[in-house]
Amino acid sequence: MSHQRVHDRTMSTSADSTSSLKIMSSRGRKAASTVAGLSALTLLAGCATDAPQDTWKPAGANAQKIQDLQWPVFLTAGIVGVIVMVFIAVCVVKFRDRGQPIPDQAHGKAWLEYLFIAIPAVILAAIAIPTVGVVMALNDTDDTECVINVTGQQWWWEYDYEVGADGTICGYAPSEVSASPIITSGQLVIPADTKVLLRGTSRDVIHSYWIPRLNGKRDMVPGRVHFLRLESDTPGIYAGQCTEFCGLSHANMRMETVVLEPADFQKWLDNELEPYQAPAEGSLAAEGETTFIAQCSRCHQVNGLVDPNNGNLVVSYPDQFVYSGAAPNLTNLMGRNTFAGATWDLLTPECRADVWEANPEEFGDKYLAGVSQDCLNEIDLREWLRNAPAKKPMYADPALLEQSDGKVRGMPYLGLSEDQIDQLIAYLLERK
Amino acid sequence: MFTTGSKLLFGASGASLVGTLLYGILVGGIMGTVGLVSLTAGLIFLAGINAFIRDANVAADEVAQFSGSAAAAPRPASSVWPIGVAVGGVLIALGVVIHAVLTVIGLVVVLAAAAEWLLQGWAEGASSDESHNREVRGRLAYTAEMPVAAAIGLGLIIFMFSRVMLGVPTKSSTIIAFSIVATIVLFGGAMISRARSMSAPKMFGLFSIVSVVLLAGGAVAGLNGEREIEEHHTTAHYAELDKCGEEEISADEHASQTVAGKANSSAEVTLDENGLSFTRPGLNDPQTGVIQLPRSNANNILFRNETSEPRRFIAELAEVEGSPARICTALVEEGGVQLLTINYAAPSFDPAVEESGGYAFVVAGLDDRIEVVVP
Repeated sequence: MSHQRVHDRTMSTSADSTSSLKIMSSRGRKAASTVAGLSALTLLAGCATDAPQDTWKPAGANAQKIQDLQWPVFLTAGIVGVIVMVFIAVCVVKFRDRGQPIPDQAHGKAWLEYLFIAIPAVILAAIAIPTVGVVMALNDTDDTECVINVTGQQWWWEYDYEVGADGTICGYAPSEVSASPIITSGQLVIPADTKVLLRGTSRDVIHSYWIPRLNGKRDMVPGRVHFLRLESDTPGIYAGQCTEFCGLSHANMRMETVVLEPADFQKWLDNELEPYQAPAEGSLAAEGETTFIAQCSRCHQVNGLVDPNNGNLVVSYPDQFVYSGAAPNLTNLMGRNTFAGATWDLLTPECRADVWEANPEEFGDKYLAGVSQDCLNEIDLREWLRNAPAKKPMYADPALLEQSDGKVRGMPYLGLSEDQIDQLIAYLLERK
Repeated sequence: MFTTGSKLLFGASGASLVGTLLYGILVGGIMGTVGLVSLTAGLIFLAGINAFIRDANVAADEVAQFSGSAAAAPRPASSVWPIGVAVGGVLIALGVVIHAVLTVIGLVVVLAAAAEWLLQGWAEGASSDESHNREVRGRLAYTAEMPVAAAIGLGLIIFMFSRVMLGVPTKSSTIIAFSIVATIVLFGGAMISRARSMSAPKMFGLFSIVSVVLLAGGAVAGLNGEREIEEHHTTAHYAELDKCGEEEISADEHASQTVAGKANSSAEVTLDENGLSFTRPGLNDPQTGVIQLPRSNANNILFRNETSEPRRFIAELAEVEGSPARICTALVEEGGVQLLTINYAAPSFDPAVEESGGYAFVVAGLDDRIEVVVP
């Protein structure tokens, strides 16, 4: 159709329809502005610097493999997407209805259809070949140097370091004592430049372990054993989050992986295996120890804790009170920087920033310093001890525990007095 | 010449007699036999009386009366339903002494046959036109007869086919299944393509032959019995709580069939000529001495016996309150694998556990031991 004909048809439209088109055009511009604004905001969000779970910043060999794959894939997808969008936009604008007659309808163009099949097929094949290679490479565990058991439960992660046949943990022998198993939670500590294999499972429902900067996701299914490799050559803390909906506090089930230089990992190991140090007699911490034994030790284990009243070793039995059968081991609570499923920091924001933003050379010392009195985030810890279910949604109401046989999922309300909380904080501050 | 009523009663008498003989020979039992003999005698008596009085019709030699009587009306057409009623009656009687299900079936047969019989009798008197009468009957009866006949036919086909499949070896049954599916597909296609050129009698004949072959095959296979079907017990069936003594309970080399458990073992313990060793997922090198397992979690432990002697694998659990002292497999044959799922509630440093010797894996009759550490 010639331009002249289009022009003629346009000129022949009525004044009402012209007015209507103007209104619609105005609305269209507003909508386009809104979409453009939102798109710009979305794009700007990608420029955030404080993004600890950024998948585009790999910090290890496994994540780098994913990065090397996802860049060309996203680039290709982006180019294709832009081409398609531009093509659609051109068609929409250029061939929009101006009242012109419908053009001749022809059925198909064989060579064009074959081309449109061939191009996606070639692109998909080109993507599939390296994808399969990366998937297989990520599942290769033959050169594992360290195995750590990871167990998920509502709503925290437990890490269990095994003693190898050679008496070492991840190849590191304790300096002063013989090696014994280490159990911790919240923060997984691994040595740098070490091929670590996580052997994961779950105690209750399906969880998913994901440290975006170190590797992809891995579901942890009760009764099954799953593997995930982690490795990093850069000391630091790498954040992650459970990525399989696992109940009320799924969003509060976080985790962090701490990478330490070999020498620092050795120090961490030695510290973890140090014998229990009882608080000084008559101190507030000693009162806290008594309170801990009375209120907390039914579920939480502190290795080596002895009841001063009877001299018996205090052993926790969380399987009798907690649905998952486990509660975090608090032996070295202040040696890690988080609590309650790594949801809250034990460090104040300033001290936390000091550790998180430390350069790799200084990071080890700052992390191993643990939580001091000055750096303790007492506000959150106190709130937690005062009423844990109020701070983190959990199934801990005794009146609503029929389905779990009376056992809690999460930490219950203990009814602690402010004095008891003071005592407990003093006691826990010495657990590092 | 026997009258219609006499046919029914003689048929019932014969069926009752056969039933009595079968019961007397195969089942025995005084009460049942006496009851069935009495039933047979009663039926024979009634049959004799009925034959003598010719269904209480007027004498046939009184022509004038005969021609004007109801008996002079056209004779009812031959019918199978009296036999059905008789068979149902016998089934009811047999069911009383053998199994209640037979009585129920007999009752259904009697009611169904009687209903059909009544319907047939009513239809035959509907008009003087026999074809119209048949059509009337068909309209009423086919709505019930066709679905029931189809269900019975389909049931028979499935049952007979299942007998054949259960009677032949596994591989043969697979071949037969695929052959039959292929035949149905090809045959069905051929029938569809030739539907217009094939006459109804030919079709009927073809289906009849197939049906007879299937029924015969099913009957033969049913009489021969099912093939030997191997039972795969799970290890839960074999694993014993606290009964790990000398008693002989053997599990063959296929004892463990819990695929999920085998695919998700916490450790695989192997007994060979060098003693006990274990491997953990992720680390394939065999280890000895001490194994560490998590607390409060299901640990699937696979035991593999590579020795020539049947061996029993035992997990010493320590005598802690609420748990057995030990759990063990059955005797595992050479090459056999069994799975134990163990949940350790208390840590191994629990004084109660330490006092009772701690957690360990052992094999009955051997000194080898793997200490289990539960942190």
